[in-house]
Amino acid sequence: MIALGPRRWRQNLVGWAFIAPWLIGFVAFTAWPFFQSLYLSFTRYNIVTPAKWVGAANYRMLLFEDPLFWKSASVTVQYALFSVPLGIVAGVGLALLLNANVRGIAAFRTIFYLPSIVPTVASSVVFLWLLNPNIGLVNRLLATFGITGPAWLNTAPWAFYSLLLLALWGVGGSMVIYLAGLKDIPTHLYEAATLDGAGPWQKLLRVTLPMLTPVIFFNLVMGLIGSFQYFTQAFVMTPNGGPEDSTLFYSLYLYNRAWKYMDMGYASAMAWMLFLLIVTLTALVFRTQRRWVHYGG
Amino acid sequence: MAEASGAVWKARIGIALGILAVGYVMVAGRSTERKYPDRIPVRFWHRWQGDWEKQVWKIVDAYNASQTRYEVIPLSTPGTGSDAKFILGVIGGDPPDVMSIWNGAIPTMAANGFLTPLETMMTPEEKRHYFEDAYPAIRDSGMYKGRVYGITIGADLYALYVNVAAMKEVGADPDRFPETMEELEALSQQLTKVDSSGNYTRLGYVPGNLEYLAHTFGGGFFLGPDGKPQLHTPANRRALEEIVRQRKKLGFERVTRFYAGLNSAAGAAAWPFMTGELAITFDGQWRVEELRKFRPDLEYRILPVPPPREGGAPRGGNISGNFMIIPSSAKHKEGAWEFVKFWSGLDNPERSATFYNYGGWLPLSPRVANSPIYQAWLRENPQFQAFLDILSSENVRSKPTIANLQFLIDQVSRAEDRAIRGLLTPAQALDELERTFREESLKRKELGYVE
Repeated sequence: MIALGPRRWRQNLVGWAFIAPWLIGFVAFTAWPFFQSLYLSFTRYNIVTPAKWVGAANYRMLLFEDPLFWKSASVTVQYALFSVPLGIVAGVGLALLLNANVRGIAAFRTIFYLPSIVPTVASSVVFLWLLNPNIGLVNRLLATFGITGPAWLNTAPWAFYSLLLLALWGVGGSMVIYLAGLKDIPTHLYEAATLDGAGPWQKLLRVTLPMLTPVIFFNLVMGLIGSFQYFTQAFVMTPNGGPEDSTLFYSLYLYNRAWKYMDMGYASAMAWMLFLLIVTLTALVFRTQRRWVHYGG
Repeated sequence: MAEASGAVWKARIGIALGILAVGYVMVAGRSTERKYPDRIPVRFWHRWQGDWEKQVWKIVDAYNASQTRYEVIPLSTPGTGSDAKFILGVIGGDPPDVMSIWNGAIPTMAANGFLTPLETMMTPEEKRHYFEDAYPAIRDSGMYKGRVYGITIGADLYALYVNVAAMKEVGADPDRFPETMEELEALSQQLTKVDSSGNYTRLGYVPGNLEYLAHTFGGGFFLGPDGKPQLHTPANRRALEEIVRQRKKLGFERVTRFYAGLNSAAGAAAWPFMTGELAITFDGQWRVEELRKFRPDLEYRILPVPPPREGGAPRGGNISGNFMIIPSSAKHKEGAWEFVKFWSGLDNPERSATFYNYGGWLPLSPRVANSPIYQAWLRENPQFQAFLDILSSENVRSKPTIANLQFLIDQVSRAEDRAIRGLLTPAQALDELERTFREESLKRKELGYVE
């Protein structure tokens, strides 16, 4: 046991003082509600009256007696399955294009990045108009090619596809990270590849993408978490779960349970199921990284 | 040296600007300036916006000018987040003193202990007046388990708005409106217009809103004698079958496209009935005031949805709308209650008639409706009388005042949607509705929720 000298103590104290604002905020607004929600998931709780312990009843009902739970979980899993790979492909593709050394590239980068900083609610409202089946720009454009566009948000499965399409709107955020990743790839690797006779396609497959895998891995994990928590766009554009429950996302159903039906215990149980699912999937993705993520440089 | 001095000055200017910015945010973040700082504040949240909010301000100003003890401070909390904001206010120990909410949320909130039973605030005379005078359907809509939790300041009913010119155009007599659902369907067919591509450009009445229309078929989703909501009844099934049949006939997707293309989100002045795209439409009584404001030249009639030839209930419907509640944890309940009485007309029906007229809202009681001020307004807006006629009908009911009413309404709407889309037959949709609701009720019972 090494005793700390007064100087060391003072240093530690200063360190703690510096992180105290964040620490207090974290404990009060994240850690405490986090553990509290675990307790609440085993209770009947309506906010006003004290929570009443009901054991595992909420979890049992969720798993065995609530078809909408499974429906919302299925919609969310489908969304994650499509939106995450789509986001990665679009993000990497865009970053590769915007990595080119051409005139005005900074302006292009800004243009593609801008949508990701538009508030989600605002962009959702804009898309409501764009996807209007009669007067929306999307169907008007399709009509010029002689195509009758679908009633996007009013019919299944088009409502779901519309939200997938909307996911690409914010791809500029990940594009910037990919771009930073591309800039980080040492030039000598490309020079060596050129000396070895590699063409552009081979350079992309053998140098760029492998070297970009840490960034892809990061975006994969973040995208996975984000897609399972998908809420705002669905809430604004199809607040009741859309046609045939096709956009009844897990978080939307959770929100309705909590705030519409005031069943906070049940909603907490839903939140914990989601948390466990996300942790499991993230752990699985982490386990696979040794096989495909290259940290060499 | 000069560089160092410049850097110091830059830092000083930066700090000064920072302080200014923080100061501005703090000042700007303060709540609305009070007109009567010496009075007891009564914070009032409501859901109106735009022109409607201006009417609210007029009523609030009238109240604040009428006495010297309280100051009502209004705040608009519109949209779907209104209830959530209220709940957060309660949790945070800082709810409004009085709030206008949609009556569908009253039973759920009352069952969960959010609301003050208002009869505890009433004097014996007020209580007697309230129970004897108020329209029963409106009064019952604010009650839960025999207690008053909400008092109307603007209840809603729905009826058909009929464009007179459109009727004349197809050779129909606007003063001989169809008396049965079947005749109405035939008229609507006449009024329908399509363009060269087969898209609708004008529609007549398209039945919908099962929760309301079921009453016209002699049904409704209300509590039965055994205290359970009546869901899959023959009358409700007939109503849903009719909705589905007519929608199928018109073409589900064609109607959906037509409605989606209407500019209904662009505000009251762009209501498709005003712009002629809907020749007959089913809408609420507040549209009378909007028509008066934006299309005083438009000749129209208001009529109840006619019942089917057999087995219907004329002038059927149910009440929805804005009801005043006082949170159980409100800080200034007395002031809140005075304001509720002032607006609703519980203490002075004649005075409150003016307020109901501001927004074209349905009055609390026949005493308000029969007051000279209200009658004078009716003479100026004779079409509104149709709503008062419907209101006095015995076929107008309150929604079932059960704790999970919100869930029931959502599920009725879901059943209607699934049947219209052809995913289920009307009978299957109502079976599913009944099963879902029963299972939910069992779950709630097991968890110990009060119904």
